[in-house]
Amino acid sequence: MARMKFICDAERCIECNGCVTACKNEHEVPWGVNRRRLVTVKDGVPGERSISVACMHCSDAPCMAVCPVDCFYKTDEGIVLHDKDLCIGCGYCFYACPFGAPQFPQAGAFGLRGKMDKCTYCAGGPEENASADEYRKYGRNRLAEGKLPACAEMCSTKALLAGDGEVITKIYRTRVTTRGKGDEIWGWAMAYGGSAKLADLPGGRA
Amino acid sequence: MKLTKTTMAAALAAAAFLAGCTELSQEPARSYAGKEDAKPYAGDEFKGDKQKWEKALAARADNQNEYLRTPQAPAK
Repeated sequence: MARMKFICDAERCIECNGCVTACKNEHEVPWGVNRRRLVTVKDGVPGERSISVACMHCSDAPCMAVCPVDCFYKTDEGIVLHDKDLCIGCGYCFYACPFGAPQFPQAGAFGLRGKMDKCTYCAGGPEENASADEYRKYGRNRLAEGKLPACAEMCSTKALLAGDGEVITKIYRTRVTTRGKGDEIWGWAMAYGGSAKLADLPGGRA
Repeated sequence: MKLTKTTMAAALAAAAFLAGCTELSQEPARSYAGKEDAKPYAGDEFKGDKQKWEKALAARADNQNEYLRTPQAPAK
């Protein structure tokens, strides 16, 4: 198995917030914490696009690098998880993350921060699989049930894909060749310059 | 002696130059200090059978491709 990844197809996302709701419901995420959210650009004008954003489970995760108590770890499948028993809620990971993935519940009066909470790729955390402790701290462990993250499985237009990076890239390629347009990787040209077309990238033949 | 020094300097320069070609390790530089996590296939569902677990996930991932689920459109 390669690495577990998310891809959001901006050509398909209709900004329904189904992924956000599925995540909230599946893990009973507390009020004020959003493990997944939608980002819309050009809202209400031609060219509007939305993408669903959560923890991207980076290959070289900045949150892991800056954590002062070393509470992050990476599973064999490339999923970045953390131990809440060790987290001190300092917020360094929030500053380091380019996607704003780490979330902090309000733990008391005066805006006191609780322990960090983020997308677990529905893989739970360092507790016994499917135990009450795991559910309370990290949410449901769907991966241990042989299921993919709830957000992607719930997506009505299948804009959000989850799974083995190689498999979901193949699905994406099939789409762009079938529909004959939209093979631009959204945000690529803005981030790295040059062409954003999937076919123009190194090794990419859409 | 002079030749040895020149050779050594050239060797050092070549080593420093080639160091740029080294592939950096993808392993995290820092160690994890928390509790050990169980493998996702270790529970009652898969009983440690990694292949069965991977097969289940692959089937789920393929199910996201509706081109495989819908019949092909008739050729025009």
